Amino acid sequence: MEDDIDVKAGENPFQPYLDALRNELEHQDPVFIIGIIFSLAVVVITFVLLKYFLSSKTVQSAVLLVGLCDSGKTLLFSRLLSGKFRKTQTSITDNSAPYKAKNEKGSSWTLIDLPGHDGLRPQYVEKFKSAARAIVFVVDSAIFQKEVRDVAEFLYFLLTDSAVSRNVPSLIVACNKQDITMAKSAKLIQQQLEKEMNTLRVTRSAALGTQDGSAGSSVHLGKKGKDFEFSQLPMMVEFLECSARGSKGENGQADIGSLEKSLAKL
Amino acid sequence: MLDFFTIFSKGGIVLWCFQGTGVTESFTGPVNALIRSVILQERSGNNSYTHDALSLKYKLDNEFELVFVVGFQKILTLTYVDKFIDDVQLHFRDRYKNELEQKGALTLLNSIFAFEDDFKMLLREAEESSKARGPTSMRSFNASLKSQKTVKSMIETKGGDKGKEQGGKKNKNAKKEAPAAEPVKGEKVKAPASAQKTVENGNQGLTQEEIIQKKREEFIRKRMGAPVEKPSKSPKPAKEKPKGKEKRVWTLGGSSTKELDYSQSNGNGAHAAGDQGLDAQADPGMQLSSMKGDLLAVDYESSEGDEEEEEGEDAVERVVVVDTSKKIPKKGAIGGMFGMLKGLVGSKSLSQEDMEPVLEKMRDHLIAKNVAAEIASQLCDSVAKKLEGKVMGTFTTVASTVKGALQDSLVQILQPKRRVDILRDVLEARSQHRPFVITFCGVNGVGKSTNLAKISFWLIENGFTVLIAACDTFRAGAVEQLRTHQRRLNSLHPPQDHGGRPVVQLYEKGYGKDAAGIAMEAIAYARNQAFDVVLVDTAGRMQDNTPLMTALAKLIAVNMPDLVLFVGEALVGNEAVDQLVKFNQALADHSMSDKPRLIDGIVLTKFDTIDDKVGAAISMTYITGQPIVFVGTGQTYNDLRSLNARAVVGALMKA
Repeated sequence: MEDDIDVKAGENPFQPYLDALRNELEHQDPVFIIGIIFSLAVVVITFVLLKYFLSSKTVQSAVLLVGLCDSGKTLLFSRLLSGKFRKTQTSITDNSAPYKAKNEKGSSWTLIDLPGHDGLRPQYVEKFKSAARAIVFVVDSAIFQKEVRDVAEFLYFLLTDSAVSRNVPSLIVACNKQDITMAKSAKLIQQQLEKEMNTLRVTRSAALGTQDGSAGSSVHLGKKGKDFEFSQLPMMVEFLECSARGSKGENGQADIGSLEKSLAKL
Repeated sequence: MLDFFTIFSKGGIVLWCFQGTGVTESFTGPVNALIRSVILQERSGNNSYTHDALSLKYKLDNEFELVFVVGFQKILTLTYVDKFIDDVQLHFRDRYKNELEQKGALTLLNSIFAFEDDFKMLLREAEESSKARGPTSMRSFNASLKSQKTVKSMIETKGGDKGKEQGGKKNKNAKKEAPAAEPVKGEKVKAPASAQKTVENGNQGLTQEEIIQKKREEFIRKRMGAPVEKPSKSPKPAKEKPKGKEKRVWTLGGSSTKELDYSQSNGNGAHAAGDQGLDAQADPGMQLSSMKGDLLAVDYESSEGDEEEEEGEDAVERVVVVDTSKKIPKKGAIGGMFGMLKGLVGSKSLSQEDMEPVLEKMRDHLIAKNVAAEIASQLCDSVAKKLEGKVMGTFTTVASTVKGALQDSLVQILQPKRRVDILRDVLEARSQHRPFVITFCGVNGVGKSTNLAKISFWLIENGFTVLIAACDTFRAGAVEQLRTHQRRLNSLHPPQDHGGRPVVQLYEKGYGKDAAGIAMEAIAYARNQAFDVVLVDTAGRMQDNTPLMTALAKLIAVNMPDLVLFVGEALVGNEAVDQLVKFNQALADHSMSDKPRLIDGIVLTKFDTIDDKVGAAISMTYITGQPIVFVGTGQTYNDLRSLNARAVVGALMKA
């Protein structure tokens, strides 16, 4: 008995409002209701479309400057953007800025300089790899002989990454520090890297699986059975020489003409 | 007097730099070393770093992503540097706020920061203020505290600290009587040393100027950041010598190897039963009557010194815990609610007090996940330094920012700092016609021999020939264990399939011989017979067993292996820190060259026994900076994996 009274008391405060609403709705034109529903749907669709378009704009509109530590990425970044020489230190975070390419169209995209330190490299590459439409891989040509295995491993890791093999960004290998007399030429670096990648294909696929069972990437570079060559890759690969410091020292111009031309072609 | 001062962005672009007069070397090298060893290895808890002859101090500005670094000669002790960096930072921020606030590196590249004049003015101010304080004159003996203490209070007894405290109380009373009570006349006066001593509460009897002197010295001491030293051990007329550590005598180690030689009974085949009888007879009888009667209790003979140390450490830890618990801010109910709302919306910069409770929780969480205690606190300090002053975006809470930053740091620590590709290195060694030598070291019972067998299985599967060197000449059955593994591996990969030669061979010389000599002979044998890899198994040893650590260091220094792997089990907790530090120390101390071979990699074993308490991985990589090369997940040959940093950090941060 008491429960019934309680229930009735609970319903009562809302009952008048519900009745009023129902009356209102019934009195109104059905077109009005349809109008409300339609406008809500339009708002929702606009949000979805906006999100889609905005995100697709940022997809693949960046050029990444990657490479080992001390290869000259930050200085190259500075030279490309402002032409000036700046002293640099080891980067802890990335630098990004819009870049206007030197071609007739004047297209502009974002140039991103990622840190090269071994501890930071994987997370930054992970963050920016899907937005890359081209990758500029900077190599220190002077000490290349000593670092050849590290350079090749990083390049292998980039090329076999699932996002990279899906988007197929063009690859420019910039052999930096050509102002030093001991610097190797781009051709030599290309041959050495091809030999090294050949070996890496075998050792990396034989590497141990990780402890939680996730296997490494199963992308096979180049053609099976034949020696690895960069021309076998699905993406455009170009080797060029440049010098961020420039032959005339700090106050002179940088020797990056070929790099700018390649960037203009993108 | 400063050598240099730089201001650069976290992205690496130097905004402004200053080089002291007469300094010609570029500072890029030292600053890069600072960045790589301190900031990137998450050791930014303390803000100074030494590199060769230079001492570097730095400050991170997380709001505008800048780093301020100052460098000066190590031999100089400049007291104004800390405050100076803070002043420069504030000045720079205020002056260039507009340029710094813009996102993107373009403004940084294009603007010129003409900070010279401001800097010179600030430097002049700092130098003058440090000169104004002037050198403190030494107090005379009668004015010092020591003259007012009784002799008895300064005699160090076993309950050392308690004695000093009583001395403090006696101090008060003594001063009431007269300073002439029992002055220790014959003792040397160490006035500057007494200035450094923890000043006890004896303020009452001193005159006004002495109070000022004392306060001044305390201030200087705090500025210099001198650690609170234990009350110095003054030259006591005490009768008892301080009880030092007794030398620990290992009953079966290092004294005479004759007793350890069981080589006559060394079984060369499968006759196990017959061997047992031989073994019993060949036992030299030294252990024959020692186990008669009831088992003896574990004895603590040499632990008096250890006990004191342990007590001291516990006391320090307890004090630390109490202090941090006091610091938890007491937020009122309403203030807390507003604070939460404020934190959600709008830009709020993080301060130390905001982060403190979250960091506290994170530290406890990490410790619960088996990360060593001091490493957890160092990590949390480093994350606090990285986030201080950072502006949070909208709808991000303090907790989420701190958690994200901690996760990034953990992933960064676990990422290998160098290339880890054993197969590639073995191929390289093969092309140079020399064997690739891997040495396994570690404490007892972590799984060295088991994981050695797993690694040789992996290498054989990839087409390499392996020589196992049995340099564990101490533990009974070590050589037989390796021989069993060799036979099983050879049966799994019979010689017929691999060109007629056995893929695994065991090089052993029985028991009791010198391990370093066996290793050297094994490597020479491998070179002659063109083996690809030599795996050297050593005996397990505790990290504070000096003779055995010396022996291990000698083995590594003499044979120069390509890879020195430390095998550690994932179950270990705080011990990991001690083990790794002492192993590295021993290897560094006993090597003859100026570039000693230290631990190059870590093998983490028994990973299947921990569910998600994976903290040992963090402790070990943080301490050594070396990568985890292998992970052992079981006892069969297939249970060998490599480390996936993201998965481990995910398991670690999971609630």
